[in-house]
Amino acid sequence: MDDLFAPPGTPWRRVSPALGRVRRIVLAGVVGGLAVAVLLLGWLGPLPGLVTWPVLGLLVLVLVGGWVFVGRSVARWGYAERDEDLYITHGAWVRRLVVVPYGRMQYVDVHAGPLDRAFGVATVRLHTASPATSAHVPGLPADEAARLRDRLTSLGEAQAAGL
Amino acid sequence: MSEPEPVAPAAAPVGHEPRRLSPMTPLVRGGIYLVALVATTWDDLLAGRLGPIALTLIAVLAAGMVAGYASWLRTKYWIEDDELRIDTGVISHQSRRIRVDRLQGIDIVQPFLARLFGLAELKMDTAGGSREGSLAFLPLAEAHQVRESLLARRDAVRRAAPAGTEPPVPGALPAAQRGWQPPDHDIAALDLRTLVLSSLLSLGTIAAVAGAALLGVAFAFQGMAVVAPMVPVVVGFVLVQLRRLSGYHGFTVSQTSAGLQVRRGLFERTTQTITLARVQGVVVSEPLLWRRLGWAKLDVSVAGYGGGAEAEGGPSATTVMPVAPRAVVLELARHLLRGRPTLPVDDEQGSLQVDPDAVPLTSPPRRARWLDPVGRRFLAAGMGADLVVSRGGWLVRRTHAVRHARVQSLRIRQGPVQRRLGLADLVLDSPPGPVSVRLQHRTQAETRELLEAAVVLGRKARLAALEG
Repeated sequence: MDDLFAPPGTPWRRVSPALGRVRRIVLAGVVGGLAVAVLLLGWLGPLPGLVTWPVLGLLVLVLVGGWVFVGRSVARWGYAERDEDLYITHGAWVRRLVVVPYGRMQYVDVHAGPLDRAFGVATVRLHTASPATSAHVPGLPADEAARLRDRLTSLGEAQAAGL
Repeated sequence: MSEPEPVAPAAAPVGHEPRRLSPMTPLVRGGIYLVALVATTWDDLLAGRLGPIALTLIAVLAAGMVAGYASWLRTKYWIEDDELRIDTGVISHQSRRIRVDRLQGIDIVQPFLARLFGLAELKMDTAGGSREGSLAFLPLAEAHQVRESLLARRDAVRRAAPAGTEPPVPGALPAAQRGWQPPDHDIAALDLRTLVLSSLLSLGTIAAVAGAALLGVAFAFQGMAVVAPMVPVVVGFVLVQLRRLSGYHGFTVSQTSAGLQVRRGLFERTTQTITLARVQGVVVSEPLLWRRLGWAKLDVSVAGYGGGAEAEGGPSATTVMPVAPRAVVLELARHLLRGRPTLPVDDEQGSLQVDPDAVPLTSPPRRARWLDPVGRRFLAAGMGADLVVSRGGWLVRRTHAVRHARVQSLRIRQGPVQRRLGLADLVLDSPPGPVSVRLQHRTQAETRELLEAAVVLGRKARLAALEG
């Protein structure tokens, strides 16, 4: 596709499609909540019908647009474990590629919210001495997340380079 | 006040027996309240009577003095088992222990009142980054003495630790060089004339003069009503400049065995040591008006120091030279980037290319003007065998430089417009600080090539650092 975000020798490992489901549920929840609020306001009076319907139409557009965007964004997440560093790529709109040498890792987090757990996915986050690093991989199946965390931790210890 | 005091012969060497702080400590700490007392009750005092406010304040002050004296009585410090111990607490006891080999640097700070009494505070900087320990106040000579013996002890402990078991704490020198100690000497100093002139030539001053001219016009036409609200702004500006002058007065950089020592301050004298092994990168700033004179400012990112924002114009802990000829600034920059004390004419140093000026810089392609029409002309970046350098800015030209060995992570970012133009940014992450190397708006192919090259060079540099 494009060279800039080509995989580094080894192919990208993609994240679980369950991440798309989780994000679409969140999206639908937020949009649905707003729609209910607008309808209630229209029904109770403070909002004239002239405003209610266009707003609802807008919300439908947001839902459709968001639905498509989530699909693209999830498909673009990828990571590749190399001997000495981890490559991560993501972003449908603004595209990014992050390289973190294992030796630079301070610690690794695994995080899974209630909805994530329901779909069996988790986020692995790497921390270096720089808060700007922002290296994380969402939507990993739970066992893969645990494997990645253990591997990163052991490689990080083996190659620790201090500050 | 001159700094290197002769060591007081009476004082016993700092050792295992507990010692107290200076008995003047409560007085210096409470001094500000004494001033407040006198200031608030001046009229009453002159009239020879004591009002209720004065009596309350005196009571508070007396209680404070008793508490301060008790606290002084119970505060002791000594060195035991390679730990600096500080026992404090009148009612509940506290005992703080600071492992000597964890000490990164020890700063000596003299607030104004303490300076009047010839006292100083010792601030211990440990690997955690936060300033955890402090001894306030000691006589200045004793403070220097304690500092020296703690640092000497630290070096001895580190040397004794067998290679390999040593924690990978920065600050440790490669084994071969630990025995060698560079002599202390001043590398650079800032004279008052340059400092004042640089303040006058700052962009803030230009803005202030323009503002004052506008105010004058406004005053001529509209009278006081328009001008009055502006007065606080002007006063604020003057205060900021004065704080800069007093903060950077007598700025001296010298080389010691512990690293670069920075001393500065007119009223509050600060001595700060920058451990060379913890230096992450440097920024050379050249404001528009200084460029004609060939002046520059040098800031440094040190692991654990954090942002050190100079937002209020006050002196910042990250500034290694507030203003100096560019050649001096670059010499300091090379020294800091090298990351270890200069060895007496030695091999090896030549192999590390740490001159930011020696790295060839190139500009982004012309089509980047769609993204940054004004700034593009001033953007430039390049990568050398040991350094990555990026430059940008018109009003203040900033040159950021980091060594491959210090890069934490690398990022490519491409926004939608950049994608259309086939451009991308490469960002090298450093620990929090003023340094941020960004190679903006380079062509796609070049960006990825630079990233891969930097990954390889970084790996090599880290390996070399581990083996060295």
